[in-house]
Amino acid sequence: MKILSVSTATNHLSVALNEDKKIIVEKNEHDERNHSEHLDPLINEILVNNNLKLKDIDRFAVAIGPGSYTGLRIGITTVKMFASILKKDVVGISTLKALAASCSDQKSLIVAGIDARNDNYFAGAYIIDSAGKLVNVIPDGHYHIDTLLNAVHDYLEQSKYAKLIFIGSGFNKQEKLIKDLHVPFTYGTADQNVVHAGIIGKLALDEKAVDPDKLLPRYLRRTQAEVDWHKKTGKPFGPDSNYVEEV
Amino acid sequence: MNNKKDIRILAYESSCDETSTAVVKNGREVESLIVATQIKSHQRFGGVVPEVASRHHIEVISQITKEALDEAKVGWKDIDAIAVTYGPGLVGALLIGVSAAKAASMATGIPLIGVDHIMGHIMAAQLKDEIEYPALALQVSGGHTEIVLLKDPIHFEIIGDIRDDAAGEAYDKIGRVMGVKYPAGKTVDNWAHKGKDTFHFPRAMMEDNDYDFSFSGLKSAFINTCHHADQIHKKLNKYDLAASFQASVIDVLAHKTIRAIKQYRPKTFIMGGGVAANHGLRERMSKEIARLPKSIQPKVILPDIKLCGDNAAMIGAAAYNLYNAGKFSDLTLNADPSLELPYADSMLK
Ligand SMILES: [Zn+2]
Repeated sequence: MKILSVSTATNHLSVALNEDKKIIVEKNEHDERNHSEHLDPLINEILVNNNLKLKDIDRFAVAIGPGSYTGLRIGITTVKMFASILKKDVVGISTLKALAASCSDQKSLIVAGIDARNDNYFAGAYIIDSAGKLVNVIPDGHYHIDTLLNAVHDYLEQSKYAKLIFIGSGFNKQEKLIKDLHVPFTYGTADQNVVHAGIIGKLALDEKAVDPDKLLPRYLRRTQAEVDWHKKTGKPFGPDSNYVEEV
Repeated sequence: MNNKKDIRILAYESSCDETSTAVVKNGREVESLIVATQIKSHQRFGGVVPEVASRHHIEVISQITKEALDEAKVGWKDIDAIAVTYGPGLVGALLIGVSAAKAASMATGIPLIGVDHIMGHIMAAQLKDEIEYPALALQVSGGHTEIVLLKDPIHFEIIGDIRDDAAGEAYDKIGRVMGVKYPAGKTVDNWAHKGKDTFHFPRAMMEDNDYDFSFSGLKSAFINTCHHADQIHKKLNKYDLAASFQASVIDVLAHKTIRAIKQYRPKTFIMGGGVAANHGLRERMSKEIARLPKSIQPKVILPDIKLCGDNAAMIGAAAYNLYNAGKFSDLTLNADPSLELPYADSMLK
């Protein structure tokens, strides 16, 4: 099975072509602020170099979130349209799961996160079970660093894990708070700390395909305007589809 | 004529709070038009919230692509080009249309055409009638108030521009003062028809020699009048307020546009943009042009009311002209939130 996967979730752009469990090629652009301009040409380059057309791809995969809202939408819109038009499978993979999957240490609790500024993180924690599969033990969410580290602390108390790995962005500036946990810890390497499309492609093998029309970013956070409106009016948010009507 | 192949364009528009797709034949015939509006959502906040708009666009984009093709009873093999608004507008919102159109182009091998949103608004007229060039357009919407000279189907130049708040924005702001739900244009227009110009608000820059506009003075005068009445607990007639505001806007627009027609002698006069749906403005412009000497009277094209707001059909119309001129885009096409038509030399002082 040929899988084309994409991550535009962070300022790191990544595109990969996998054949079953094997990464055929992965292309990365670091610190790139212009995913819209670079994504399609990068996909095209990979296809041309491998003598493939988009229709030869069996499955599309994408980092579904969390991450930069605008970034997520570029990648997700792109693969959703590919899958919808070519009638191919599409799957969304948690950005944090993809980060965690760069670790193979079964003895550590893996905390994956993306810096969301002001000591907030889009983060989740993962372990690798005896079958070698990633299991999400602290759900992906938007956390203040104190809340996140409390959840980590509680999980360590009731589990056999006694080591921590922090993968992703912005954790090194929390070193003082992390040390207060009194648990041995390490940070991911520069290579582990960025989202790899090749890993997304690997994780996509086991994932169930979804309807491309329903493939939407997992923002894990409502917009400020909605939060303020909700506070002011006390009205429920309601499903977003209630607010869009065809005229 | 008959041996010429029909050109069919699938178009996307997502620059603000409508997600729209359309199939347009030969730049003139709307075979399908889907518009998913988010007004209900943004009414919660009293105006368009960009991040919310972007979130809604991605919810419907693939679905309304299929709907546009189905409604036109065509498949991808019948489509000659894929067009998309790439600016101006809200960057996050634009990016949904741009990403979708590029992906569709890659998946199908159909060429891509990036379209200026303003060019699209003006070309809504082409869906109504044939435009003869040179033409002159009064383009009025929430974000723009411009007089545009169309030298030919793809070369447009701004000869007059707004210096501050666009006309549509002024409508929304004074609408808010009167307690009208966003977007306020239609209600204010309806009220205006029931009232009289009793307040005589200022007509800004009316006698200036250029074709520029300014509505901030009018807006302030309106708000001051309302606040003053509030302070002395006097209730003002909302119909007269609306009529007075609208009379001031229309006087300025009509006066400057007629002067531009006299100078540039266009063969066609076009109105475009959301405020082109305003009945008061449509009536006034038609009347003023009918009063011009026959020798300089342009043909008037007022687009269908439902094509004045943002929609993909107008983008398909403009894209047809770009198609004929061989103006295609490649996969590096990006959203350009501050895209602008070029200014005429006379504007570059
Ligand atoms: Zn518009």
